[in-house]
Amino acid sequence: MTVNEFVKKILFIEILKGLALTFKHMVTPAITRQYPAERREPVPGSRGLHALVRNPLTGKEKCVGCGLCAAMCPSQCIHIYTSEGDDHKKVVDRYEIEVLRCVFCALCVEACPYGAVALTEHFEYSGYTREEFYYTKERLLENWDKYMAGAKGEEYFEKFWRPKSVDFATAAQAVQAKERAGQ
Amino acid sequence: MKNNSEDLDNPEHERLSTKELTLNLGPQHPATHGVLRLVLDLEGETVVKCTPYIGYLHRGVEKLAEHRNYLQILPLTDRLDYISSMSNNIGYCVALEKLFAIEVPERTQFIRTIVAEMSRIANHLLWLATHALDIGAMTVFLYCFREREKIMDLFERLCGARLTVSYPRIGGLKNDVDPQWLEDLYKFTDEFPMRVEQYETLIDKNRIWLRRTKGVGIISAEDAINWGMSGPALRGSGVPYDVRKAMPYGAYDKVKWEVPTGKNGDVYDRYRVRMEEFRQSNSIIRQCMEKLPEGPIMADAPKFTLPAKDKVLSDMEHLIHHFILITKGPQTAPEGEIYVATEVPKGELGFYFISDGTGRPYRMRIRAPSFVHVATLPKLCEGELIADVIANIGSIDIVLGECDR
Ligand code: SF4
Ligand code: SF4
Repeated sequence: MTVNEFVKKILFIEILKGLALTFKHMVTPAITRQYPAERREPVPGSRGLHALVRNPLTGKEKCVGCGLCAAMCPSQCIHIYTSEGDDHKKVVDRYEIEVLRCVFCALCVEACPYGAVALTEHFEYSGYTREEFYYTKERLLENWDKYMAGAKGEEYFEKFWRPKSVDFATAAQAVQAKERAGQ
Repeated sequence: MKNNSEDLDNPEHERLSTKELTLNLGPQHPATHGVLRLVLDLEGETVVKCTPYIGYLHRGVEKLAEHRNYLQILPLTDRLDYISSMSNNIGYCVALEKLFAIEVPERTQFIRTIVAEMSRIANHLLWLATHALDIGAMTVFLYCFREREKIMDLFERLCGARLTVSYPRIGGLKNDVDPQWLEDLYKFTDEFPMRVEQYETLIDKNRIWLRRTKGVGIISAEDAINWGMSGPALRGSGVPYDVRKAMPYGAYDKVKWEVPTGKNGDVYDRYRVRMEEFRQSNSIIRQCMEKLPEGPIMADAPKFTLPAKDKVLSDMEHLIHHFILITKGPQTAPEGEIYVATEVPKGELGFYFISDGTGRPYRMRIRAPSFVHVATLPKLCEGELIADVIANIGSIDIVLGECDR
C-alpha cells in the first residue's frame, strides 16, 4: 500500500466522495411523483383499456363481427356472438372482452381489418367483482365516447390505432353515398 | 434450533450442536429476485450445501406456444425475462426469421439493435439497483431507477407499453420510430455516461462494497464454460464470448464495440463487466442512431407478415393472407428444426423450434440463461459465508420468470 492509498484509506476519501454526491442530489428537484395527487399524463398510444370504435355515419359500432380479433388474441379473452340480420347481413349481437385476462398486447387492434377496436390510454380502473371487468359491447362503445372525446382522443387514435391508410368502413359507405347521389 | 443454557446438561445437546442447520431461503425472500428457493445446510455461518429449488413461477410457456400460431406467441416471450422483454421479443423474431428465411430490412436491423441495447441498459440498471440494495447500498438503488424510468418512458412512447413491450414482429417491427423519439433518446445517451460515473463514485471504491464483492463467489473460466454460463457471468471469468460477436445478428457487425471481460471471476469482476457494458451499449445506441438508414420496416414476405391494412380490403391476395395468417398462422412454414441464439442482457437466450409445416411450432424450447445460472449457485456458494449467498445470487443476475418459464 503506497502512502497515497494509506492516506486515502484513513481519511475515508471514497466514502466522502459518495456522500458529497448524495448531498448534491438533496438540493436537486425531486423526480418522484406523489401518485394519487399528482398524476402522470399517459403518452399517446399507451396500451390501456379497450374501446370499440363508433361509426360516425351510423352511430353504431364499426365492427362487422369477422372474428379476427378473437382469433388473434393470445389469451383468448374476446368473445363475439353474431347472427343473421336483414339482408342476410351479419349482426354483432354481443362483443365481450374479459379485461382481467387481457395482456394488452394490442394484437387485436393489429388483426382488425376495419380499425374497429382500439386501446385507450386509460389504465386506472378497478372493481370489486369479476363482472365489472367483463366489458360488453355497450360498455366498450361507451369507453370510446368517454376516452376518445375531444382533440386528444382524435390525435391518439390517428397516431396509433387507425389503420395506416384509408378508413375502409367509412370510405366504402362514402363511395356508396356518392354513387347514390350521382344517380 | 433450541440452544438454551438449561439444555447444556442434556445428553442430547452434544448430538444437536454438531448437527448442521438447514435454512430455507425463499421463495419469498426479497433478495432471491423472484421466487427462487434455496435450501442451505449451514455449519455456523458457512454454507456446506446449497440446493436450489425452482418452478414456483412455472406457467408452461413452451407448452402454451404449441397451441398458438407463430404470430400469437410473441406476447408470451415478453413474460420470460420480464425485466428486458424487448430482448426476448427480438430473440424470438430473429430465430423465426432464420427458420422462415426472411430478409429483414436494414432499418429494422438498426432499430432492433437500438432497442435491444436500451433494454440491456434497463436490465443492468435494475440489476445494479437490486444487487446494490442486497449488499446494503440503498442510494444506488434510487439513482438507477431514475434512469430506468427514462428508458421505460421511451419504450412507452415507442410502442405503448413500458414493461411487456411486444414491439418487434416477425419480419419487422410494430411501428417506426419518430424523429422526436430519436432526439430524446440521443439526449439520454448524452447524459447517461455521466450517470454511470455517479454510480461508480458511490460504490466502485467503497470499502464495504469491495469487502463484500472481491474474492467472493469465484468461478474459474474453465468451470464457467463447463457449467454452461454465458453473458456477463461468463465474461467476468475472463472468457470473451459474446453471441453478438460470435454470431452477429441485427446491426452488431456494423458498429464498433468491445466485449468487456473480467479476470478473477468473482462478484466484483462480474459487476465491473456490467458497468462496462453500460458504456458499450450506450456507444452502440449512438452509432446506430447516427447510421440509421431510411427504408421500410417490414420485410417483403407476405406469407409470414401481416399485410398493410390498406391492401387488406382492396386486394384479394392480401385479404386471404391476412385471414389465414391470423386464424391459422403461416401455412408455408418450412419443416425442420432450428436453434438460434441471441445475446440478451443475462446471457445466451436460445430459441429451438421444431416446425412440422403448420402454423404452429411442434415444439418450442427456450434455452434460458437464468436456468443455467441457477444451477451454478451451489458451485458458487458452497464453502462461503451465508451473507455471500445473497451477493452471489445478485451477481449472476437471474430472473425466475425465465428460469421457470
Ligand atoms: S390486447 Fe391482446 S390480450 Fe387483450 S384483447 Fe387484444 S389481443 Fe387479446
Ligand atoms: S376484427 Fe375488427 S371487425 Fe372483426 S370482429 Fe374484431 S373488432 Fe370486429
